[in-house]
Amino acid sequence: MANFVGAFGVPHTPIFAQLVDREGPESETGKLFAVMRRELVSAGPNVIIIFDTDHLNTFFLDNLPMLAVGVAATFRGPNDEPPALPRRVVPSHPALADHIRRCGILDGFDLALVQEFEVDHSIMIPLHFLTPAMDIPVIPIFLNGHVEPLPPAQRALAFGRSVRAAIDSFEGGQRVAVIGSGSFSLEVYGPRIAPGMNFGVPDPEWAKKVHAYLRDGDIAALVAETSAERLASAGNVAGELLNWIAMIGVAGNRPATWICLQERFGHAYGIWPEVAS
Amino acid sequence: MSVFAVNYLCRQTLRDHAFREAMRTNPRAAVAGLPLSEQERDALIAGEVGELYAMGVNSFLLGYLVRFELLGLTLDSYREKLLAASRRNKTKS
Repeated sequence: MANFVGAFGVPHTPIFAQLVDREGPESETGKLFAVMRRELVSAGPNVIIIFDTDHLNTFFLDNLPMLAVGVAATFRGPNDEPPALPRRVVPSHPALADHIRRCGILDGFDLALVQEFEVDHSIMIPLHFLTPAMDIPVIPIFLNGHVEPLPPAQRALAFGRSVRAAIDSFEGGQRVAVIGSGSFSLEVYGPRIAPGMNFGVPDPEWAKKVHAYLRDGDIAALVAETSAERLASAGNVAGELLNWIAMIGVAGNRPATWICLQERFGHAYGIWPEVAS
Repeated sequence: MSVFAVNYLCRQTLRDHAFREAMRTNPRAAVAGLPLSEQERDALIAGEVGELYAMGVNSFLLGYLVRFELLGLTLDSYREKLLAASRRNKTKS
């Protein structure tokens, strides 16, 4: 069987590559990603699964899956021109991706299949910081966190559990890390952006609450409170929290060993290493 | 209803650099052949992003118009227009 080795929640703010280029590795964001990278490297994965919300760049409103798995030898990105983020080819692991898709469908999750695709900053920003050599195969799993109606939080959690079962039943001995990509409270180019900025944090209290639930491992409360209304009031891209919830579905309901809220951005960085059983 | 066409146009300003440039230099000509309603076309050319938002255009996609500094939009004017539209909408409901 393949082995789950840890879960890593991160933001994907498109300007972060440029910001850390400019401000250096000792900047707040540089240091936070350095912690995440160190822990990811220490977990020693040879495959990474990333739960991600595509920003209408891989898919569009003419053809929009709620859940999709990228099954391909490689994919490219970013395809949305984030500053200072070069286009790269990322290796993937089609056999494990296909296994996840098959297991998911048998578990009742209607997973779309995508085999020829590019991805946007929401995958490439995390990879830029966490696996800059692009030498670890990455399997993208797309979860609609932007276009209403969104999948309910309970379903995202259950889907994560299905992905965990698929990892556990895959014969190959891979070491699999899981990334959840996204924010808790964030508005991008909607009416609630801050003056002079292209984003705003409409509900910083919600971001703090999510952070506390994740820190304490109170996933039942987090899922119970993550209603469609709550996500809508937290910003036009706040549904990205569902990627974190799916990630927790893989890791299991337990506290993060380390989690840090970057309050002014409405997002956090969190780590759930695998516990020895 | 052609809100889809407006959403698509917004993303084309990201994908198609020639179209982006055409929207910068002569938006009226750039949108001339597109399957838009008269109201959508007028709102686009006038940079009335609040009106487009009220019609149901996706705000994340609408953002490309200001990201690429099209239709005379600045972050401040863009924000004001969306905020006003959002307030009008709340008053109505």
